[in-house]
Amino acid sequence: METNKINNYGASFKRSPVFYVITRIVVLFFIIIIIFPLLYTLSLSVRSPETVYSARYFLIPYEFSFANYIDAFVNAEQKLKVSFPRMFINSAVVTSLSVTLIISMSIFAAFAFSHLRFPLKESLYNVMIASVAMPAQVLLIPLFYILIYLGIINTYQAVILAYAGFLIPIGILILRMFYEQIPYELTEAGTVDGASDLQLLMKVLLPLAKPAIATCVILLFLDTWNEFIYAMIFMQDPTIHTVPVGLAKIGTSRYQVNIGTYSASVMITIIPVMIIFAVFQRWFIAGMTMGALKH
Amino acid sequence: MIYKTFHIKTLFYLLPAVFIFLTFNVIPGLTSLVLSFFDFSGFETNLFRKFVGIDNFIKIYEDKYFWIALKNTFLFVFGAVFIQTGIALVLSIFIFFGNFKFSVLVRSIIFFPCVLAPVSVGLVWKKILEQDGVLNSILGLDYSYLSSVSLVMWLIIMVNTWQWIGYNLVIYYAGLQSMNIELLEASDIDGANWSQKIFSIIIPLLWPTTILNMILNLIGGFRAFDIVYVLTRGGPAHYSEVLASYLYYYSFSAGGPNKMGVGAAVAFVIFACILTIAVARIIISKKIRREN
Repeated sequence: METNKINNYGASFKRSPVFYVITRIVVLFFIIIIIFPLLYTLSLSVRSPETVYSARYFLIPYEFSFANYIDAFVNAEQKLKVSFPRMFINSAVVTSLSVTLIISMSIFAAFAFSHLRFPLKESLYNVMIASVAMPAQVLLIPLFYILIYLGIINTYQAVILAYAGFLIPIGILILRMFYEQIPYELTEAGTVDGASDLQLLMKVLLPLAKPAIATCVILLFLDTWNEFIYAMIFMQDPTIHTVPVGLAKIGTSRYQVNIGTYSASVMITIIPVMIIFAVFQRWFIAGMTMGALKH
Repeated sequence: MIYKTFHIKTLFYLLPAVFIFLTFNVIPGLTSLVLSFFDFSGFETNLFRKFVGIDNFIKIYEDKYFWIALKNTFLFVFGAVFIQTGIALVLSIFIFFGNFKFSVLVRSIIFFPCVLAPVSVGLVWKKILEQDGVLNSILGLDYSYLSSVSLVMWLIIMVNTWQWIGYNLVIYYAGLQSMNIELLEASDIDGANWSQKIFSIIIPLLWPTTILNMILNLIGGFRAFDIVYVLTRGGPAHYSEVLASYLYYYSFSAGGPNKMGVGAAVAFVIFACILTIAVARIIISKKIRREN
């Protein structure tokens, strides 16, 4: 369908051999630029320790070996005091709890913003919009002390609450806009039938808001899974390091890990994301596009 | 509207989210501004004991590395807003009108780095750019790219562009798909060639999308920390420090000065930059609305 649409008004694009050649060269160039670093790291990680510094055409190893992956697991466990499986569990706990907390609170708050009245509504909403543009680092120092006073520094809760405070505006923004796009007649009909506001939210709005919630889940998942600075500073206890924090420690530590182990460690963090992306790529792209268009 | 006026039940919907938002976002944000007038280190319990006025600001004003960090931040933002958006614009037009057989696959590949952690991306590139890295083997050089004062910031911008170009690309693609095609059809009848179409019709029609991409990259540019941290840690000798990493160095870094008041002053500067931009954006969009 998409191609038909292009064919209709792409006449001079199709007719021009110059355009045809330029697009092929430029797009191919960018695909190589994007793929090469990832393939190179993959290649490093599967070379045997003896042949790690050489390969055919920079990419194809002379000798395949998974020894680096075993080394990476051992290295993380011995030097970091946190194994890769543990890092993934930590990240999964933090991510799933943060996303659940943020979305469940946003579902209700966005409803108040879209369908209910309360004082200072638009000012509060403007503060939320402004806070979306604020970099996380601005909150870093006071948050650190707030979490110490609350006695939850170095626990999962520290990071989960910090993420919740930082990301709740995004959930509310997206859901409010979506609720407001739902035809007025639908909620009106519900009110006439005597539905309470809670029933209206649960039975009319929420079933229709599934795509918006999916968008939120994707955006928040990426933001929390990949987040680094809060996770590094609020959870300094090695046993609860998340994946990016553990990986950064391996990659930037003073004592050098050998290049094979280093690359295997990086690949261990990339491969699961790659698999999830391969399965859900349409949702990822649609979700991130939709999230951006809401700004 | 369900209630014509404020109803106490509304609080039930609102309070949990607003409470978390205020406690962990607004209050720390405002506290950060106040803390920039105090002197404290990471080990104190009463942060507000030692009021020092604008000493922290004088300290960063006199620090040459603060100005490097500020300059680097603006350079980084410039790269994200203009270079990255520009490349994404060209790439999206080429993919959209290029009649590629696998255009979905092409977009997915270019988009893929967006879902990776910046930490992973930084570490992938670090090994490529190091002195014994593959870039030198390919080019036949022996150069330490990340220790070059003049080059290092551009390399960080390049790695960041590499990661986020797909994000701008898919946003442009959405813009292209919803573009009004009548003008293009009319120009076909008039016999316009492809370059005339791109420069006179497509790029002007994509202007709102370009503005959106620029704003997103502007906001993202001030956030950059992870990639600087893993690639260079602000080095060589603080020459690739950005405001965020400078704040980290002053407040939290293990070998750093551990002066959190100074860190708060840097946060104040970041806050002021973002606020200026946000206000400018509101004023400009209001002006545009009035003119229309």
